[in-house]
Amino acid sequence: MDKKKFSEFYDQNINKVFRFVYLRVDSTETAQDLTSLVFLKFWKTQASFVDNKINQSSKVSNPKAFLFQMARNQIIDFYRQKDKKPLSLDKLGEIADFQVAKPTFSQQIELDLEMERIKKALQFIKPLYADIIIWKYLDDLSNKEISQILKKKEGNVRVLLHRAMESLKKQLDS
Amino acid sequence: MQEKDIIKKISEFKKIQPNHDWVIWLKANILEIKPQNILNEKPKIRLASFSFINKYQKAFIPAFLSLFFIFSFAFAQTTLPGNALYPIKTLTQDAKIYLASENTKPVVRLEVAKSRMEDLSKVQNHEQEVSAIVKIITKDLGLVPQEIKKINKKQVALDVSKDVQERSKDLQVMTEKLVLKENDKEELSKTVENTQSQVLALIIETTEEINQCPSFLSKSLVELSEYFTNTETAMIELSNSEIIQAKALLKEASIVLKAGDCLAAMEKIESINQLLSILSLDVQVETSTPENLDEESSSLPLQEELEENDY
Repeated sequence: MDKKKFSEFYDQNINKVFRFVYLRVDSTETAQDLTSLVFLKFWKTQASFVDNKINQSSKVSNPKAFLFQMARNQIIDFYRQKDKKPLSLDKLGEIADFQVAKPTFSQQIELDLEMERIKKALQFIKPLYADIIIWKYLDDLSNKEISQILKKKEGNVRVLLHRAMESLKKQLDS
Repeated sequence: MQEKDIIKKISEFKKIQPNHDWVIWLKANILEIKPQNILNEKPKIRLASFSFINKYQKAFIPAFLSLFFIFSFAFAQTTLPGNALYPIKTLTQDAKIYLASENTKPVVRLEVAKSRMEDLSKVQNHEQEVSAIVKIITKDLGLVPQEIKKINKKQVALDVSKDVQERSKDLQVMTEKLVLKENDKEELSKTVENTQSQVLALIIETTEEINQCPSFLSKSLVELSEYFTNTETAMIELSNSEIIQAKALLKEASIVLKAGDCLAAMEKIESINQLLSILSLDVQVETSTPENLDEESSSLPLQEELEENDY
């Protein structure tokens, strides 16, 4: 994937990945940090393919699914190291040769009461269920794409989605 | 809250969007990073198109070798003397002879010799190789009568000899047609002739051996004839009618034995023995030679005596 293609791919998916991460970590700054890491790692992978003249499509059949898989892993890593502080932008700059400038991108995201309740409920149900609900109903991923991210069969994804909705309903009712 | 409402509410999360400045800033920073800075070590270069060879080499090499040998052997069967693969063909033919059973070996050897002669008829030049093949054919043909002799069962040996004789009929014609050096041709022709005459001799010999009756039959006949020569002794033990009957049987036995019908002769002698209340003949496997049989038959006084007595 060259710069132009990556740029297009980035524009198409940055909002989705950010939303997915934000709903799981409940912090704008952490969501930004983790989303940055996800795209940075993705670009590293693509750049290495270009450098080695290896056909990228032979390595990653579905880049979108691959991106969400990376985002999911990043969140899992984040929760594993929750006793540690999340990566700051300064740290990120050290790791990836970032131009460390302090941009003004803090933004308050406002949600109504009902949506706040759903957001909280998503954080209380199983992480896998929350992931599936977000991918399916928010990021509009197909069952096939979700199955590729989770490396499960499409039939299993349907069952998991059903169970996830049941779990969310139960959480909202309680 | 219904599932529909939940889904509807979830879709409203789409309004969650990252800060636009941050999005632009992040993209710019990521794209500024050159791949050379990202890669700490270059992956090893491998020949992707042949990588399967490494993976399956354990199975691939024996399979390849097997196929190579199969194709070489198959191709070698169409070669002629002078070709690099012809020794493989001769090797295969020798293996065929070696693996043949004792009863079929002479025929297989003859057929191989014929096949080699056919190969020679298609070759021009390559004198050295041709001479070598002629020697092999000569040796093979010389072994055919010896191998027939090794067959234990006389009837099988006779059948094989006849088969060989039939199959070797065109050998002389084939030899005549071959374009060979004078010496080679003469040697081959001589061997063919020798083999054919030896096989013919074997056929005659084996036929005689098969038709020959066991020696104990002639001995019994001699003993019985001597017994009836002394009529007085016979008169004491037998009645007149029994003596007449026995003598008649003795005469018939002598005639059928000379005619070579051993079974009929054995039946007649058995009948006489029953009349004399002598135990049945002991079966002896030993066979007499034609010379012995002739001597024994000639010593029989029976026929002349029977004629003289004029019973």
